[in-house]
Parts: sequence; C-alpha cells; structure tokens
Amino acid sequence: MVSDTVNMSVDLGGIKMKNPINTASGTFGNGWQFEGFYDVSTLGAITTKGCAAEPWDGNPAPRMCEVNSAIMNSVGLQNPGAHAFVETYGEYLAGLEGRGTRVIVQVAGHSLEEYARAVELFDELAPFASGFEINISCPNVSKGGAAMGATPKAAAEVMRAVRPLTSRPVVVKMAPHDVAEIGRALEAEGADALSLINTIPAMAIDVRTRRSRLSRATAGLSGPAIHNIAVRMVWECHNAVDIPLCGIGGVSSGADAAEFILAGATAVSVGTANLTDPTSAPRILSELEQWAESQGVRDINDLIGAAEC
Amino acid sequence: MHLDAKVHQYDFTVVSNERVGDGIFRLVISCPELASLILPGQFMNFRVPGDASHIVRIPLSFASSDAGTGTIELVYAAVGEGTRRLSLLEAGDGSDLLGPCGHGWNVRPGGRALCVAGGVGVPPVLAAARALVQAGRTVDVVLGAQTASRLWGETDALALGAGEVMVCTDDGSYGMRGFATIAVEKLFSANEYDLVVTCGPNVMMGAVARIAEDAGVECQASLERMMTCGFGACSTCNVAMRAGGYKACCMDGPVFDAKEVAW
Repeated sequence: MVSDTVNMSVDLGGIKMKNPINTASGTFGNGWQFEGFYDVSTLGAITTKGCAAEPWDGNPAPRMCEVNSAIMNSVGLQNPGAHAFVETYGEYLAGLEGRGTRVIVQVAGHSLEEYARAVELFDELAPFASGFEINISCPNVSKGGAAMGATPKAAAEVMRAVRPLTSRPVVVKMAPHDVAEIGRALEAEGADALSLINTIPAMAIDVRTRRSRLSRATAGLSGPAIHNIAVRMVWECHNAVDIPLCGIGGVSSGADAAEFILAGATAVSVGTANLTDPTSAPRILSELEQWAESQGVRDINDLIGAAEC
Repeated sequence: MHLDAKVHQYDFTVVSNERVGDGIFRLVISCPELASLILPGQFMNFRVPGDASHIVRIPLSFASSDAGTGTIELVYAAVGEGTRRLSLLEAGDGSDLLGPCGHGWNVRPGGRALCVAGGVGVPPVLAAARALVQAGRTVDVVLGAQTASRLWGETDALALGAGEVMVCTDDGSYGMRGFATIAVEKLFSANEYDLVVTCGPNVMMGAVARIAEDAGVECQASLERMMTCGFGACSTCNVAMRAGGYKACCMDGPVFDAKEVAW
C-alpha cells in the first residue's frame, strides 16, 4: 500500500503517521468495526469517538437525517466514560498502535474542570494513545462543546487547563468559524496541532409537521456538501499559524484529501464517508498516493500548503 | 471484551424487483455468501446506485433467504427517495450492501407463538414465523396494513403452515377493520402463548408489548430507527431503554426484549 516512490509519512505535531489519512471522531466508532471491511492498520491514524471522564447518554432519537449531499447529526457525544472506554476498547487500540497506526483519543467535557479531569484520566489509563484531541466544538451539547471553543479567549482557557496534564501531543478540534484567530490563541497556549472543521450547525424542518427533523432544533452538518467550506477554513488557518493542521470535512476521494493538503493540512481525516461507504479511507489513501506521484514529488510533505492561490 | 467485526461488504445482483402492492415491492437478490450467513431478524444496509447527492444507505430486513440458491428475498415500501430509487433497479443490476447487521430473533423451541406484523414490518416477522415453525412451534400470525392494496404476506403466512392467520386493515378494506392489536387481543383471549414477536410501527409494537407484558409473556420486538452506518460506528440509531440510557438499534438490536424498551 505504501508508495515506493513517494514518502507518505507525516508528523502531526509529534504524532508520527505513516501516511496522512486519519479518521474523524464520531464517524469511525473506536475502529474495530472497520476490521470487517479492511485492515485498519493501513491508515496513518484513527481518532476515537469523543469520550469524557464520566459517561454521557447523548441526545434522544432521532439523531440523524439525510439532506442534500450531507447528513445532519445530533448524537451529543454519547460515551461510556473514560474507565469503560479503556476497559472495552483499550486492548484493540493498543494492538492497533502496535500495528503502526497512531491512536488519537478524543476527549470531551462540559467545563474546564471536566476537560482537565478527562485528560488526566486518559493520560493515566490510555498509555496506547499517541495523542489527544480536545473537542471544543461539538454543536450538539447544551453545556460545554462548541461554547468552549467559541472565542479565542474561551478556547485558550481550555488549552491552558489541559496543557500541563499530559506530555503527549494535544490536537484541538475546532468549530467552523474564526479559525485564524482561535487557531492563533490555541497555538499560543501550546497546542501541538489543530483539526478542523467540526460539523457546521444547521437546521432541517419537516414541513408537514413543522417540527425539526431531529430531536433538537439544530444539529451538525457533515458530508460532501461542507467540503469546500472546510478547505477554505484550513487555508485561512494555515495562513495564521505555524503548527500542523488536520483537514476534516466531506472527504470522499483522494482529490478531496489532496485539496486539504494543498490548502495547508498535514493530515486529512475521512469522516461521514466512513459511515456511508466503509471502505472509503483505504481507497482515499491509495488515490492520494497516486496523486502525489502524479505531482512528481518524492515526499508528500512538499505538497503541504502548495496551493498557488 | 472480544470485539468481533462481523459486518462485511458484499456485492449483490438483482434477480427480480417487482411491484406487489401499492408502493410495495418484492426484491430478490443474489448474494450467495450472505445468504448462507444471515439469520432471521438481521438486516442489510443497501447502497442504492444512481444519485451521488443521496449518500445514506437503506437498511432493510428480509423475508427469506436460501443458502441453496444464494438468494435473499426482501419486501419494502417505496416511501422515501432511497427506496424509490431502489424500486427502479432491474434484474441484472448490481450494487453493494453491508451485512449481516445486528442481532436477529431469538428462536428456540417452545409452546404456541404469536407473530404480529404491521406495514413494512411484515418481512422480518414472516422470517421469524418460518423459523419458529421449523423449531416445532405452533405459530399464529397477525398482519396489519393501512389498506388492502398495501397488504403483503398473507399467502406467504398461510404457506408457512401457521396455525391461524388474521389480517387487519385500518380502513376495513380487507380482513378485520382496525389495528393489529384488536386481533392480538382476540387471539390472546383464545390461546395460551409463551412468545410474541412483533415488527411494525412503534405505536403498534408498544401496544403489543403491553398486552404481552400484562399476560406475562415474552415479547421480542424488531425496532426501526433512522440509521447511518448499520454497524455500530456512528451512534445515530439510539433506542431509549426503560432502565435509562440508550442502546444502538443496529448493534444491540434491531430485535430487543420488549420489556427493556422505553416505549
């Protein structure tokens, strides 16, 4: 799988990936389900489903509806809590690390204290994690979530709270707004990398019943429809910070992944496509390698931010 | 904990796809590997080709499978854009599906069983009825539909060697007039059951579950939810539990012990 002619390995803020393909949190379970479709260890990294220190129930049904070229979800970070997470998935995830795929554990919280507690716990319980992704951008929770990353000041406070609690790389998952300003604030507080974008807050109304099509009024939009918004935001953020970026948003082909790299992303996460077409990620990796070869480079890192815009 | 990834992707070919009622279609696919694996009550998540702007798969349970011929029979209602496009597939067309998804019916020998289906819940209930007959049980079947033209499965139910087959339509255009629960109450007063299986509209299943629970009879219900992946990766198909919290329809279900569900 790995190209003979192009170096595909990248370094996402200290997370050394054998290729740039990662998976977006919440679209990949905790990885093991995908072993029924392909060898997950072909990927550069996986990012686990957001998990807090204590269990969260998430939102009532319905949590998903389909709209044009996208889905909307309002899962609300349902998770079993750090202890049950490690007990249930730790062995698989440690094995995956051993097979050469970096495991990035996503951490959620409702407050600064909860983020800190979760990072502390995972730092102790999850020695297999190559790094942590701090989710300050979930649009589907009433407390915490996107509110924690809404302004440069709020985002910086989260980063300041968690930075001293782990020596492993910390990636911050950003909301789809003000990415340059918030990115600079996170970089200043010691974030090792940024991942963007989270889903875009959106709304779908059943015109017959006049009710939301989901259990909450608004939900997160993801899929091909958001891809080019995400590319623009990665490009803006890349122009604002020096730390590496992971591009996320509607990637369903190697060309989509290549756009993120050209816009300035070091790594690229496959998201919704994992759910609708579970063999997407290895196909996208293979297409990305072919593209890098076609560009005549020896190292994919030479293409990061290489868009001539 | 052992994490067993049992859902795989398979290609399939359409053998036939015919209209059997008003907006109701019977699809037979050739998918030999899955036909020998899939159990009654499990489901498949279909990719319907032809429109890239619709990215979500269509989860469907099945009425019968035949390991000998490698075919699986499904009956579905064309209610949304995905199922409408599915109804356009012709013999020889192909696509892919994910399966076998979820846990099916818990089929074991025992006394008399009652199988209650409403609307598009008929196929998995018939699959359960067939398995229960094969397990040596006497099986009664109740089929409910809005109206006669949207009813499917009476002939198949009769062919199973079922005990009694009762049909209800909401508008009285065929069989008994009213909801399936009327027939269920009638059968419960006449017979002694030790198992009820049901699939159909949530309201119907909840009512059937109550009747069974009041009588102290085990009830298995196959639930439907809006679903994205079908294999436990997205947490979108949550089912509220009576004890609090949620379970995943795709992995913990679609067949649940009705007592555990918060109807």
